[in-house]
Amino acid sequence: MNRAMYAAATGMAAQQTQLEIVADNLANADVAGFKGAAATFADVRAGAIGLGTTAIGRHALFMQGKLVRSGGSFDVAIDGPGFFVVERNGKRAYTRNGEFARQADGTLRNAAGWNLAGVRIPADALAVRVERDGRVAVDTPQQKNRALAQLRLATFAAPEGLRPLGATLFAQSEASGPVRLFVPGGRDGPAIAFGMLERSNVSIVESMMQILGAQRAYEANAKGVQAADEMLRIANNLHRG
Amino acid sequence: MDGLHWSASAMRAARAQLDVATHNLANAVSDGFRRFATSVVLGPGGLRVSAAPANEQGAIRTTGRPFDLALLGPGAFRVGDGTTRNGAFSRDRDGWLVDDRGRHVVGACGALRLSAGATIAGDGTVRDGGRIVDRLPLPAGTQVQSGALETSTVNPIGETLAILTAQRAFETAQKTMLAIDGTREKAANDVGRLK
Repeated sequence: MNRAMYAAATGMAAQQTQLEIVADNLANADVAGFKGAAATFADVRAGAIGLGTTAIGRHALFMQGKLVRSGGSFDVAIDGPGFFVVERNGKRAYTRNGEFARQADGTLRNAAGWNLAGVRIPADALAVRVERDGRVAVDTPQQKNRALAQLRLATFAAPEGLRPLGATLFAQSEASGPVRLFVPGGRDGPAIAFGMLERSNVSIVESMMQILGAQRAYEANAKGVQAADEMLRIANNLHRG
Repeated sequence: MDGLHWSASAMRAARAQLDVATHNLANAVSDGFRRFATSVVLGPGGLRVSAAPANEQGAIRTTGRPFDLALLGPGAFRVGDGTTRNGAFSRDRDGWLVDDRGRHVVGACGALRLSAGATIAGDGTVRDGGRIVDRLPLPAGTQVQSGALETSTVNPIGETLAILTAQRAFETAQKTMLAIDGTREKAANDVGRLK
């Protein structure tokens, strides 16, 4: 009975993992540039004997989110694969959340306090614009459409190997491979959409279904533990004093 | 074998069925998992339970990841030294196609190393940069669907029922055992008693 009890317990643990991931997805469903994650499970076996299940991986799902027009004065989105490069205290991270705000010192900072790399807006700039190929231009009182900087996007050999640093930030890792920077806007290549934000790619309806499913599966596995326990009790009652 | 041994073998069989049912239920969300079906055989030594993966097709769910592969039909993917029906593959940093345990996916000509734009057609043909580079060794008639995974074939309702059935069968066998034991107690202690 013990084998059954432990197998059922691994099922409960798996559903809990599933629930944690779905809850995290749902919590960030309104965060621009957020990528939902999914867990994968596989059976554990010793020869022909089944011992339950285990989580073998967790993937960020990098499917494109919908681009929506936003109200921010420096909101950008990526139409296609790739990441923005952001910096803080000399460290680099990569994100698809293009919700930046202009700071007093001219840097463009996101809500987590990371600056968009390579861009500093002059104090007298009246308006800022980003072209689809990543060229940043500003209007100043002296000059209209003054070229300021070139945005580059980051790409990785295996983006699913990136290490998450919070909801929408990622760091390079051994598994992702080294970063490669490129200029967007090429033919068929990813492009930058200015004044837009990428919505998270989490489907609320699907997440709700996953939560219901996980909850019921958790219950069913708990019944397995109960049954194993009950059978132990019955076996104990074989011996009448 | 006497009644006591038959009852004991029934209890062991119920226990084996519970082991299988809980294992199945735990894998209700394991992609590519095939439910184990039990069969009970009556032999000279009592009831014997054997379990084997049932050859059923799981439902297909689309995931949108380009190297997720679902099998439609019998067979399995070759990964490393083993096989699996869980086609959750991805490219690692060097372009090798690997599963979630890091094992290389093996085609007819060896481990697959692909660029990001490679495609895998329904018949298992692997195309990279417009050229056919390899094919997945699959039985005739089996199709591959990319961007999708085969879900577990476990039906939670069926397994819950199997758990209940096993529990009740165990209980019945225990009751039978107690009845036989009671009869023997009578035979041993009461039959020879003189009033």
